[in-house]
Amino acid sequence: MTDAADDGRAMPVSGLLSFLRGFRLIPRIETYPRVLAFAQTIIGKVTLLGAFGIGLWYTNPHWQTLIFLLAVITALPQYRRIVLTIGTLLWACGIWWRWVDYPRLVQVAILFILAALLFWFATLFRNSWFGRRPVASLLTGFALAVLLASDLPRGEPLRTVSWDFLTVAGAYLWCMAYSLLDIKSKRCDPFSLQLGTYRPFWGSTHTPFVKGAAYLRRIEAQSAEQLAVAQLKGLKLLLWAMILDLFLRKAFLPVVHGYMGIPLYEDVFEQSALRIGFPWYLGWASLIADFLEKLLGLSVWGHGIVASCRMAGFLALRNTYRPLASRSIAEFWNRYYYYFKELMVDCFFYPTFMRYFKQRGRWRLFAATFAAASFGNVFYHFFSDLNYIEELGFWRALVGFQSYIFYTIILALGISISQARERKIKDSSWFRGRLIPVLSVSSFYCVLSIFGHPEKRYPIREGFRFLAHLFNLAS
Amino acid sequence: MDRKAEIREFLRILLARRRDEKAFSDETSLFLSGRLQSVDAVVLAVFLEENFGVDFAAMGFDQERVDTVNAIWSLVEESSSLEH
Repeated sequence: MTDAADDGRAMPVSGLLSFLRGFRLIPRIETYPRVLAFAQTIIGKVTLLGAFGIGLWYTNPHWQTLIFLLAVITALPQYRRIVLTIGTLLWACGIWWRWVDYPRLVQVAILFILAALLFWFATLFRNSWFGRRPVASLLTGFALAVLLASDLPRGEPLRTVSWDFLTVAGAYLWCMAYSLLDIKSKRCDPFSLQLGTYRPFWGSTHTPFVKGAAYLRRIEAQSAEQLAVAQLKGLKLLLWAMILDLFLRKAFLPVVHGYMGIPLYEDVFEQSALRIGFPWYLGWASLIADFLEKLLGLSVWGHGIVASCRMAGFLALRNTYRPLASRSIAEFWNRYYYYFKELMVDCFFYPTFMRYFKQRGRWRLFAATFAAASFGNVFYHFFSDLNYIEELGFWRALVGFQSYIFYTIILALGISISQARERKIKDSSWFRGRLIPVLSVSSFYCVLSIFGHPEKRYPIREGFRFLAHLFNLAS
Repeated sequence: MDRKAEIREFLRILLARRRDEKAFSDETSLFLSGRLQSVDAVVLAVFLEENFGVDFAAMGFDQERVDTVNAIWSLVEESSSLEH
């Protein structure tokens, strides 16, 4: 046997492991000096935009508008934030005029004026009640407005007008909250730039992507090289989103629901609610499949938005980052839907922690965690679906939300315990220190997801019934 | 140990808890870059309250203002100037 052959035999296990650990499906092109230099040239930028445009064409129905705005923002980096505001306003016109059931441009215009007035008032009267607690006042005001609107007689024009406006206000509520939070920053942006963060053109939900103006200031590319890095990372992330999307639609779904014949979770849950029996293992299979499907779907969707944000010159963090590798419940919450978690932290966690229970030690963290993961979480989701409140009335809708409220209480308890334990746990073996925690955390979220569908309003007992089915305890 | 070094050392411990042993300078972003998380921010806030007398209830809490060693230091200086 030759030396070379010996070398070849001696190397494999550790060599293969280190190769696999370092392997990347998409290479780190932003670290290659030649690629980085090319991305800073005009031809390089056009190439990047062209490649990104192809990706958008595959993933986004409004790809033409989006790539046009990205091209303008790339060409005018010195006016990036202004272009962002103009682009976002144009995008808003598109959404509220063309892409909803009927135009609501007037409501949007009134809402922006109201947001500007609140911003101005909080800036001018910092020591007033509103100036000291602008977000709490905004959220309370919105909740009261919804409560009052739900009491207006049906068929009254005032009721229709109110709900039309509240729907628009609800869509921008958390963007306004971020603007009001920015007032306390040392370098607060004027309202004209704040508007660029009001559901920016790269995409958003009721959760602002990516946070507010303070975050954008911090992550904005300051040089041609930083812009090239951000854009290369944006292109990579879009490509990753496409790969995940292909995997989800062409492999995962056909194999799981076709080849393996695992029914949809919704169908199995409904069977449980209708008292139709099914084997316990089918319940588990559909629940796990749904959990993984939602995780993949969220990743694809979030990556698409963050990729466009990066392409615009803002090096934002990913929305979803390897949640299944989380070793604690708190870590999973941070990795699963980052910008929602950040919203809860900024609007509920920090204010509670900094103001209340200062002499109560561990209760301080516990209270802040409950404020964010439970109260804030319920508030956000309850007021996100205004149609439901309009249809049922405020109090009946709240009762219908019992399952989600239960979900958030267990979630907050889990995060609190996880935060307390995190300080004590020392690194141990791979099995005890890595595999067991990772499986436990994923299982916790998977089982808890039975109660965590804000859009499905089953009574809480149906969630418990399904849970009992999983352990073969229900008939 | 000078007071700024105390902050550096505290941040190093926080990072080590996250299994992050990478070096950081006084200008390295720690929270907005994702190296530290919100729960670390409150641990840091308690540290600053207890050891440097910073009153976040009065000043308001902004992650950007505790994102780097230098940002934390200027916050501490501002806080002590408010007290005097």
